[in-house]
Amino acid sequence: MTSASAESRETKPRGHFSELLMVEGKLALREPVGLFTGIGVPTILLVVFGLIGVANPGNVPGTSYSVIELYVPTLMVIGFILLGIYILPIAMVKYREIGWLRRVSVTPEPPSRLLAAQLIINLVLAMAAVLIIMLGSELIFGASLDVGIPYFVLSVVLSISVIFSLGLLVAALVPSQSVASGASGGLIFLLFFLAGLWVPPATVGGPLATIMYYSPSGAAAQALLNSSFNTAPPTTAIVTMAAYTVVFVFVAIRYFRWE
Amino acid sequence: MAVDDLSLLINEGEIFGIIGPNGAGKTTTVECISGLRVPDSGSVSIYGLSPHRDRNRIRKFLGVQLQESSMPPRLKVGEAVDLFASFYPNPVDPKGLLETLGIGNIKDSMYKKLSGGQKQRLSIALALVGNPKIAILDELTTGLDPEARRETWALIESVRDLGVTVILVTHFMDEAERLCDRIALINHGKLRVLDTPEAIAAMAGGNRVRFVPSKPVDDKTLYAILGVNQIERKERYITVTGIGDLAASVINSLAKAGVSVSEIEARTGNLDDAFVKLTRDETSDASGVPPQ
Repeated sequence: MTSASAESRETKPRGHFSELLMVEGKLALREPVGLFTGIGVPTILLVVFGLIGVANPGNVPGTSYSVIELYVPTLMVIGFILLGIYILPIAMVKYREIGWLRRVSVTPEPPSRLLAAQLIINLVLAMAAVLIIMLGSELIFGASLDVGIPYFVLSVVLSISVIFSLGLLVAALVPSQSVASGASGGLIFLLFFLAGLWVPPATVGGPLATIMYYSPSGAAAQALLNSSFNTAPPTTAIVTMAAYTVVFVFVAIRYFRWE
Repeated sequence: MAVDDLSLLINEGEIFGIIGPNGAGKTTTVECISGLRVPDSGSVSIYGLSPHRDRNRIRKFLGVQLQESSMPPRLKVGEAVDLFASFYPNPVDPKGLLETLGIGNIKDSMYKKLSGGQKQRLSIALALVGNPKIAILDELTTGLDPEARRETWALIESVRDLGVTVILVTHFMDEAERLCDRIALINHGKLRVLDTPEAIAAMAGGNRVRFVPSKPVDDKTLYAILGVNQIERKERYITVTGIGDLAASVINSLAKAGVSVSEIEARTGNLDDAFVKLTRDETSDASGVPPQ
């Protein structure tokens, strides 16, 4: 058929990822659960631990940090966990469950762009959480952070990578939104604990501290704690996070279903 | 196996209907055409391209409406259409398309607020906004009220008149009869018939006349009437099925035999009857030889 010639002319798709990103951004603002959970919850916890720190001045026994200083990295990790383990996978599973990924997959646009847009939005929220926690702890609650920029950037990048890739793994493995909520909920509290929300690893010691240091969120909290005070993060934390990230991403890609 | 040994040739610019009972393999067939599913064996060729290997090229001129596909609840109608327009190299004007579909007034409504008919129209808009050469529409008018169905049919005809090839999956016989240039009837994953709606309707055994005779008539007299193939008796009614102008020949022949008829009800064969007959034939005929 002659009309096929019109198609054989390679028509370049327009630069339109910005369009998709904008739409996804609007949707995120219309359903501000991501904003509230990923930024609001760490902010509330910042105030809580800030006030505890005001009531208990001086260093936490056995450490050289005040209460708020000790909790700054943990709060950042909590923000990453809420965004990466809860908001991100549920958004992805929802798009799969309602058939939106499938619908987009029959257009010239790869459905992976939808997931990329979700990732970017949650990364932006994670950055905002980092800024709020750093500025809030310093300006309001008197933490004296001494951020070593290269160490800190490395630690933030690896922390987000390990936690978001675990979120992608959840999105890949759970079959439905309801299972995703359950699985994410359980995983979140486990990761909170390992990151030191209830007891910081610096204060527990022993085998429990070792388990925490070698967990994704514990390694992240440790690297962020060190780099917030201009110390090189321990190599074990760096390697732990990098290794988990590789495994999580590999398995997530292997098992991700588009429909 | 949902579809087995099914061969179709769809012509450019026609409305091609795929009908069949639930679970017949209609959706599987169009999924193979749209590239959502890779056939275990056999091949699909669209303008010489394979939906699987050349998916990136085919997707640019293929518009698809999926059965049971939903959208993000807070996505607005206008945003959805603009977004999909941005996916395609030569989209139609999204605003004009929404006007044509009669949903221009709700472009600021969120998806979750739409009625079933509005969702269906939006879904059609997304299938057409890329200015496709081929549109695959799966269960197009399911959930629409009768008026909206008729409007949608008119829209599909105007789309075809623009030169778009339409592949229509449906289980509504009136829809297929009204819209389609040709119809493939699929059952148990096999092609039963591929023909024009009129030709398929004629397979139902043609026309049917029911009447009450003024006095008893025997079968022999009835079978002697031109065109009569089958006789059914129920209470005082006699129903004959056959071809040609059945009512006229029944009245004339019986008048010659001294019988007058009353309460005449004549009906021409339709796609519904053919559908029931062809799908029923198959269950009684396990060897599955397609009726010709």
